[in-house]
Amino acid sequence: MLLEIDHLMVRYEKAVLINDISLGVDNGELVSLVGPNGAGKSTTLRAITGLVAWEKELKRRSTEGDIFLEGMVTFNGERIDQVPAHEIVRRGLVLCPERRRPFRELTVLENLWAGAYLGKSKTKSEENLNKVYDLFPVLKDRSKQISGTLSGGEQQMLAIGRALMSEPKLLCIDEPSTGLSPLMRQEVFDKIMQLKGMGITILLVEQEVSTVFKMTNRNYVLSSGKIIAQGSGEELLENEIIRKTYLGL
Amino acid sequence: MDILITGLITGSMLALLAIGFSLIFGVARIINIAHTAFYMVAAYGIFYFSIRLGLNPILSMLISVAFVTLIGVLVYKFIIDPIREHEGAVLIATMTLAMFLQEVILQLFTGDFRSIDFMIGGYFTVAGYKIFYQQLLTFGVVLIMLLAIWFLLMKTRLGLAIRSMAEDREVANLMGMNESRLAMITLAISVALAGFTGAVIGPLMVLNPHMWMEPLIIMMAVVVLGGLGSIKGSFIAAFILGFTEALVVFLVPTGAFLKGPVALIIMILVLLMRPEGLFGVAFEEER
Repeated sequence: MLLEIDHLMVRYEKAVLINDISLGVDNGELVSLVGPNGAGKSTTLRAITGLVAWEKELKRRSTEGDIFLEGMVTFNGERIDQVPAHEIVRRGLVLCPERRRPFRELTVLENLWAGAYLGKSKTKSEENLNKVYDLFPVLKDRSKQISGTLSGGEQQMLAIGRALMSEPKLLCIDEPSTGLSPLMRQEVFDKIMQLKGMGITILLVEQEVSTVFKMTNRNYVLSSGKIIAQGSGEELLENEIIRKTYLGL
Repeated sequence: MDILITGLITGSMLALLAIGFSLIFGVARIINIAHTAFYMVAAYGIFYFSIRLGLNPILSMLISVAFVTLIGVLVYKFIIDPIREHEGAVLIATMTLAMFLQEVILQLFTGDFRSIDFMIGGYFTVAGYKIFYQQLLTFGVVLIMLLAIWFLLMKTRLGLAIRSMAEDREVANLMGMNESRLAMITLAISVALAGFTGAVIGPLMVLNPHMWMEPLIIMMAVVVLGGLGSIKGSFIAAFILGFTEALVVFLVPTGAFLKGPVALIIMILVLLMRPEGLFGVAFEEER
């Protein structure tokens, strides 16, 4: 397995956000994490990419509540649960965050260069930039534009492009379709399929279950911080309780 | 003409101070009240090295800037960093530090007013107005510094990281940017800028152990007017306030006493009418 999560627990003071989950993603797979709001999907991604630990480190020095993080996360054969967020990126585990979050004051090109911050060489980064431009031609057209002025869909392309600049081995994408028009959503999902075709391993968190299940190899259904079901899209849709209670279909 | 020259010099000096102050606030959310105290220490540094020890003025300037930067980094490492997430504590700690530095200066140099010799003497006249070469030199050097800091921020990898971190710490982390290391580097740059301003402007000022207070207030007004965290805002607001200050001093009777109040009035008006300032950065909420 490329990524293995073993008995992960995350608690913010008394609220248990992730309650003992274990899951894995294999090389080349597209795996989804679905479930209702507040199920702990984003927290899972934040935990494996080191953001929960980072937040914990900040909180340690402040008077605000405690964060409790336990469990083992292995990536590419190495334990990463004690590794700081900025080092996890270096190992090829990259998060494209929820709500896209481009650096709004920076231009599109500057955002992409920020994504290549850890780039090994300028030539390699330029190569990656061209790949990103090939995948998202709109970013090339708007390279000089301040990214805060892009449309939601374009910002999502930028967020994915920025994440690709660091040549991820595993790309985690958090709710890419939120707030987009149906047309734009389809385009974003098409691009994700294209990434999969390029051999990039993807862990996708999404609400739009009906589309996602057609794209993925495997899926995990999360509810109240626990994995309550897993399997292929077809298998999960056959289970009526899962379908109605957790997926709202 | 006096207004123009004083406005330009004060404006550019304020810009250097405010940009440094904004930088470290942006990257690490540190409000460094001791910012102008570092400026004072550097001004006294150049006085000590060039007047007392008789060293070359340029060498004295470099030593002073290096010295305050070193103090800044040590203070960050041992005092600010451990309490960084308590904003109130950082305010109190840096305020205490400013007063501590003031007392140290008082002990070492007494409360007497001191002055530093001009690096180049002489003047020339334009339309009957005297312009000292020293004023021209100061303005030129400050402009070069502003250009250098612009270049650093806009054209280098470090600058990109600083700007990214200033906008969204969490996402910058996701790009592989090391937050605590960047905060340390930015603090060093910020303090060096304050020190540099003190060293450059020193010869045009009268040094005294309270000289950090007035620029602190005006610099805060600049930062509020420009928008907290916005470098461009700080730059433009510095010149607006620099010229306002010069106008008040030269056109209003006893105007020199009104510099502080005018800056404060501008600050209050901005806070009332446009709290985010001219170019306020809307910070992404961190969860």
